[in-house]
Amino acid sequence: MATSPQINDVDDLIRRFDLLGYVTDRALATAVYLVIKLGKPLLIEGHAGLGKTEVAKVLASMVGTRLIRLQCYEGLDVNSAVYEWNYQKQLLAIKMEGKIERTVEEKEKHIFSKEFLLERPLLQSILAEEASPVLLIDEIDRADEAFEAFLLELLSDFQITVPEMGTIKAKHLPYVILTSNRTRELSDALKRRCLYHWIDYPSYEKEMKIVRVRLPGIEEELGSQVVRFVQAVRQLDLAKPPGVTETLDCAQSAMSLGKHRLDIQTVEETLGCVAKSMEDGNKLRAAGIDKMLS
Amino acid sequence: MPQAERICSASSIIEFCQFARKNGLSNGVQQTLAALEAANAIGLADRQVLASALRAVLSSSKEEWDLFTRIFELFLSTSQSTSGPDSKEGNERRFNAHRPRASSRALIGLSGSDASQTESGGKSVTGASIQQNLQKVDLADVPNDDLLALEQISMRLFRKMSLRLSRRCKIKNLAERVDVRRTIRRSIPRGGDPIVLAFRGRKPRKHKLVLFLDVSGSMNSYSLFLVRFAFALQKYFKSVNTFLFSTNVVEITDLLRTRDLLDALRGLSQRAAGWAGGTKIGDSLRDFNRQHGRRLLSPGTVFIILSDGWDTGEPELLAAELRDTRRRVRELIWLNPLLGLEEYAPVTRGMSAALPHVDVFAAAHNLESLLALERYL
Repeated sequence: MATSPQINDVDDLIRRFDLLGYVTDRALATAVYLVIKLGKPLLIEGHAGLGKTEVAKVLASMVGTRLIRLQCYEGLDVNSAVYEWNYQKQLLAIKMEGKIERTVEEKEKHIFSKEFLLERPLLQSILAEEASPVLLIDEIDRADEAFEAFLLELLSDFQITVPEMGTIKAKHLPYVILTSNRTRELSDALKRRCLYHWIDYPSYEKEMKIVRVRLPGIEEELGSQVVRFVQAVRQLDLAKPPGVTETLDCAQSAMSLGKHRLDIQTVEETLGCVAKSMEDGNKLRAAGIDKMLS
Repeated sequence: MPQAERICSASSIIEFCQFARKNGLSNGVQQTLAALEAANAIGLADRQVLASALRAVLSSSKEEWDLFTRIFELFLSTSQSTSGPDSKEGNERRFNAHRPRASSRALIGLSGSDASQTESGGKSVTGASIQQNLQKVDLADVPNDDLLALEQISMRLFRKMSLRLSRRCKIKNLAERVDVRRTIRRSIPRGGDPIVLAFRGRKPRKHKLVLFLDVSGSMNSYSLFLVRFAFALQKYFKSVNTFLFSTNVVEITDLLRTRDLLDALRGLSQRAAGWAGGTKIGDSLRDFNRQHGRRLLSPGTVFIILSDGWDTGEPELLAAELRDTRRRVRELIWLNPLLGLEEYAPVTRGMSAALPHVDVFAAAHNLESLLALERYL
């Protein structure tokens, strides 16, 4: 692909991601590498707080293009995802042109031209002029099935049809990253069009590496304590197990409190970083914080 | 190195794709093409990277993601031995181990001719008023001869109800907002004055339905009618997920996604295993919440439990799990066939622990009571 940046192989990609502060493993790096090489969308699933969204951000800054983000929610419709007409401007235009002699067709053509079009994320990604942007479709599982079906056309042909204007085809195919928390099963048709990657909780070594990269000032001892603690908490049967984000939060709070090591008191004070509901907090206490710290 | 050579050509990648498909991945021809492209882009030197690439291309869910590693290993290991048709069959068997054929014929009891239990105490119904009568007969007491009629009537009534529900929604929500886009379009011939307003009705929001059916012995006939009920309601609800429980939980949603209900019921008898023993509603509900709660419970979900409330588990656990479920759904409905009996009062330990957390507590002993549910859906 002419637009793809010079990334030689998977190891090269890992190094570049490292430089941008994103610690990755070979499996994920391979998947991202294929996104660039094959131009296929990548669907990343996994628990919350493991850096799914971050992949797209880092990818965008690595290739040096714009990141276009579409946050999905229930009831997301074409108007807020693809395009909308600028009604106020259209009304004004109709008023102003009232005097001018023009046929109705000409008038219609004018007020449904690009000038009056509000571009929403999906259309923006298709219209990009200079280079392929990165399109992040975040938490696709929250949108409803109808929207998912709409995405199919976009992801296979990279074109969007606006009834009043015709079909718009992408000049540069966007790199598409979709993320899902698996709150519902996605349709087979959508999954078939995507590469797939499952992000799991990181190993101790990987998580330590992430902590070191993201919190450069942290003392080694404190960092490893926090990581071991959070990894132990993940073994408990919590409703919302802590992700890497929570590890970083916990470490950051301990640092901000001026602690040099993680003790029971510190954990109690910063419990909200790790346990995100009252029940989870109680479960954690019942399991014995001191045991998990040792 | 024979393994490395084996995976090193286009034909072997195609072969691997077929092998993966046989062993449980859902990849098609498109994925095979993508796999070839991927191999081309990656190069074949590093087997680990190649494996990750193939995994990204060929799998499409967590389950397949986990399965892939095993398939890949298996492919490499079988390549060393002779890869005749025999050995392949052997591998297939390892993955697609047949589900144990369950003994629970009782689950499709309705279509079976188990005369022994159905003869008891049912009044035979004949004549022109058969429909009215059948609607009121306790489902457990329906004589064998009338079952077919009852099944047909129930399907018809349930469908009607489903249709009524969806219509009600549309009319209620008509003309909610002005549709600016269409209004402007219509205003063009009038020089831009929006004289005729176009309205946009809100799309009827469909709810999800989760059914949680008790299949301990005494509940069999009731459960099956509720399965029918669920089957008919699929049109109205956005999705219907159905679970059976006694001491453990089994999902049967996929079985109900056919057009032919009989097929579904047949499949059901093969799915269920080990229904003997008591009912542990609390434990079952906890398992459900753990495994499926995040996926299925949302503010748009209607959760229906069908059970007589005879629980051999801990009532505290039941209450806690019900509270948890209740907080996450739109409505929690408990159907109890015993409520149809006049002398019944919900005083069993399980039932009285559950009642505070239930929105609707209703009978479900005959067709009429099931149809009355329309009010709550």
